[in-house]
Amino acid sequence: MRNRNRLLARAILIFALLQFLPATAVAGDPEFHAVVDRMSAYYQKRPMRGMCLLSFIANRFTPHGVGQFQMAIFDDITSPRTAPWEELESSLQGLVGPDYQPFVWARDNRSGDLSVIYVRESGKKSFEMLIDSIDSTDTVLMKMRLNSDAMREWMDEPVEKGKGSGHRVDSSAGK
Amino acid sequence: MNVTQGRIYINPALILFGATLLGAFSQPTFGQNPKLDIKNVELIAKKASEVVDVNLDGALLKLAAKFMTAEDDREGLEIVKNLKGIYVKNFEFDKPGEYSQADVEAIRGQLQKPSWSRIVSAQSKHEGETTEIYLMTAPDGGAVLGMAIINAEPKELTVVNIVGPIDIDKLSALEGKMGIPHLSKDAKESTKKSEGHHEKQK
Repeated sequence: MRNRNRLLARAILIFALLQFLPATAVAGDPEFHAVVDRMSAYYQKRPMRGMCLLSFIANRFTPHGVGQFQMAIFDDITSPRTAPWEELESSLQGLVGPDYQPFVWARDNRSGDLSVIYVRESGKKSFEMLIDSIDSTDTVLMKMRLNSDAMREWMDEPVEKGKGSGHRVDSSAGK
Repeated sequence: MNVTQGRIYINPALILFGATLLGAFSQPTFGQNPKLDIKNVELIAKKASEVVDVNLDGALLKLAAKFMTAEDDREGLEIVKNLKGIYVKNFEFDKPGEYSQADVEAIRGQLQKPSWSRIVSAQSKHEGETTEIYLMTAPDGGAVLGMAIINAEPKELTVVNIVGPIDIDKLSALEGKMGIPHLSKDAKESTKKSEGHHEKQK
């Protein structure tokens, strides 16, 4: 019982400390960090704090074949989603970097949400997916690693998988 | 053009204009491209509840080919290897009748003769589904340079643009993959008839 209390206290302490750390300092790998930094500069805004913990929790719930989930949320931004297509495409590509190829664009006209999914190969049987989901005031950047089976599902049904990919953060990659 | 003392004087600007015009029209395809502009189809996009664009070209197309390892993927792999790109645009609507045939004209307008020709037009009255398949061939009428599929259902419209050489009779190998929809039974029958027609022409 005492052990459990100590563990809980430690978890609360870590969570509290995370709130005081700059979000990018806990936001995963250096490359993701770099994309987050570019987005910060673009939106003139730092991402929400506590993303590392959220990513850690989300990693426990990712579907089979998906891992290393990381995310960054930029809230209260001036959304670029209504910008002309070419302009938006080139500015987003500039933010994610040239290594990622745009794979799926999904726009939900009911909610106004736009999700852009980028993919690149990462090793022999591993793939990295970057999803930028933009709504009227927020943008959520998610990065995850997919194994061959998960990527094959995307290749077989990119339209179905792309639909609503921005809303279903926890299941978008492997649904 | 002026005739002065038996001499014919032609304005050089007129010659230049004529040459430009001749050059433009002597292009076999009148500037038509196997890659359609399906990204900016705003008229339909505004009416749709959801719009999905799939881009498979360059490294992504090579990546897609890597997943075609199954025995029944062999034919599909042979096609994909030679392609330059597969582009899919899918519109989903809340209710039937939210888009009209006139809206689809924004896409059909790009599929004009002499480069493009419609080889399949199938209508399934039971399912309310229409499928049109267009081919773009080289100016000499030989090689296929691209293909376009317009699949219209009451609440869904899908446009597929395949850039690169593709055999119509092997299209079924790509059905249900990479965003290419499954063709209706009627469309498949029309495709078979079209194959026969092509064979006779050869």
